[in-house]
Amino acid sequence: MPTTTSVPQPQAAFSYRLEESLWRRGRNVLWIIALAAWAACLFGWATDRYNFLGSYLVHFMFFLTIGWGAMFFVMVQHLTSATWSITLRRLMETIMITVAPVTLLFLPVALGLDVLYKWAAPGFFDPHNPDLAFKRAFFNPPFFLIRAVVYLFVWGVLAFVLYRISVTQDEGNHQESISDARTWSAPGLLVLTITVTMAGVDWVMSLDPFWYSTIFGVYVFSGGALAFIALLILVALALRAAGALGDVITVEHYHDLGKWLFALTVWWAYIAFSQYMLIWYANLPEETAFFHHRAEGSWRYLSLLLVVGHFLLPFLVLLSRAAKRNLTVLGLTAAWILVMHGMDLHWLILPSVHPHGFHLHWLDVATFAGVGSLFGLVFWYRLRSHPMVPVGDLRLAASIAHQNQ
Amino acid sequence: MSRLYGVVAEFDSPEALVEAVRKVRAQGFTRLEACTPFPVHGLDEALGLRRSPLGWFALAAAGVGVAAALLLQWWTGAVDYPLVVGGKPYFALWPSVPITFELAVLLASFATVFGMLALNGLPRLYHPLFEDEEFRRASDDRFVLAVEATDPVFHATETPALLERLGALAVRPVEEKA
Repeated sequence: MPTTTSVPQPQAAFSYRLEESLWRRGRNVLWIIALAAWAACLFGWATDRYNFLGSYLVHFMFFLTIGWGAMFFVMVQHLTSATWSITLRRLMETIMITVAPVTLLFLPVALGLDVLYKWAAPGFFDPHNPDLAFKRAFFNPPFFLIRAVVYLFVWGVLAFVLYRISVTQDEGNHQESISDARTWSAPGLLVLTITVTMAGVDWVMSLDPFWYSTIFGVYVFSGGALAFIALLILVALALRAAGALGDVITVEHYHDLGKWLFALTVWWAYIAFSQYMLIWYANLPEETAFFHHRAEGSWRYLSLLLVVGHFLLPFLVLLSRAAKRNLTVLGLTAAWILVMHGMDLHWLILPSVHPHGFHLHWLDVATFAGVGSLFGLVFWYRLRSHPMVPVGDLRLAASIAHQNQ
Repeated sequence: MSRLYGVVAEFDSPEALVEAVRKVRAQGFTRLEACTPFPVHGLDEALGLRRSPLGWFALAAAGVGVAAALLLQWWTGAVDYPLVVGGKPYFALWPSVPITFELAVLLASFATVFGMLALNGLPRLYHPLFEDEEFRRASDDRFVLAVEATDPVFHATETPALLERLGALAVRPVEEKA
């Protein structure tokens, strides 16, 4: 454990950039995966559009929710003037800026609207039923697409502006960029939570057009925030293994990330449980249908896996201080949580696509690699364009010296 | 009648105090107390303090809370006075979770607060160090190290000399009133 007498300092001679050969190797691998996966995706789109879109939506949401988590976290750190996280901030922002390609990646969902969403068929909601007037007005292709464009625009602007502010700080206007970041973060957080909630309802909940849950948007978001911290831990550990970061991210920072991983695990479980218990207790047919479906056949095992794997296991592991400070345990838990986040989205989306049970499809692999490689490429190119630590922030030395008592 | 409680040494910075604590411990001293105006990083480690067992108190109390709440809800609802409400089972796990959670949190909080008080001995109205008039500066601008006379390697003249060599601004004996 570092002590007051041997505090790591930001090193002027250290560039906080990846070695060029390592970067090139990563880029080549990502491009090869991207080309192969998108060829497979195109084949899937042409031959089996229904299964393709189901799998695509799962993995599109997987990476998008992580991007939401990153945006949320960057803004929260600005608003709370957190010092401990500054040394991690550029990595957070590099994950955040991957939200930029979302505009393009939403296209398959927009084009396949009538395949994926039952309500997109004309006359789906009985035009003579006055109870469905609101659903008719809300869930129709033109309004759905207008909303989607608004969300994508809002996220794009937020991610871009916050990223811009941070990288101009590297050039030396410390104070100005801190106040700019705060000015954007306060309304940004509000706008983000509203658009994220609505996007969760639009893109995922409406797969089951008659089912509704008012907490649903928060549920999708909480999983994303958790998965973001898990990914951040893995990225930091990978860069540490590559020797690219010096010692700017110490075990103290990993300990704090572990606390967040723990807290957000509990948050996700709290939201998931609140949703389940209220529906269980009210016992209304139109609400219980969602869980009833997921308690049948092989979906039942996936439901149980989420209770144990998405909550109980990480909760018990992360409870101990020693586990959060042990980088192997923390890294394995983070990787496990990312897998569980994928399973959570399978559980939310795919019962509407394969009603009879859980099964992995080859398109799951193709769409995961396709969406993931594009997010990965944006991340990889951004990672090279700026130092991986916000070197212009005057609080950086204090952040690196951070200690848990 | 009074007897020697120990000596106090004043330092003017947290770094000097931590350094002095390390060196004093290297000489084999064990009965040490450090008093500072604010928490000093690295001091716990320098003093060789073990981690507090408080977390275990909280965990045990939370376990008791979970067991007590589940037992209460099952026994009242399904055994002692079974009553069908809204077509629900007499006892089911899911609706019992909120009460179980709340009782676990309540008992864990009690265990944490009262366990903390039991472990650190607060509230405490008197401590022998209060006999030293200058000691109150430990809550203002001085970092104080106290070495107790009961320490096996304590020596009435050599220990103050050692502390002075370590850079103490002032070293004073503290007499405890009998």
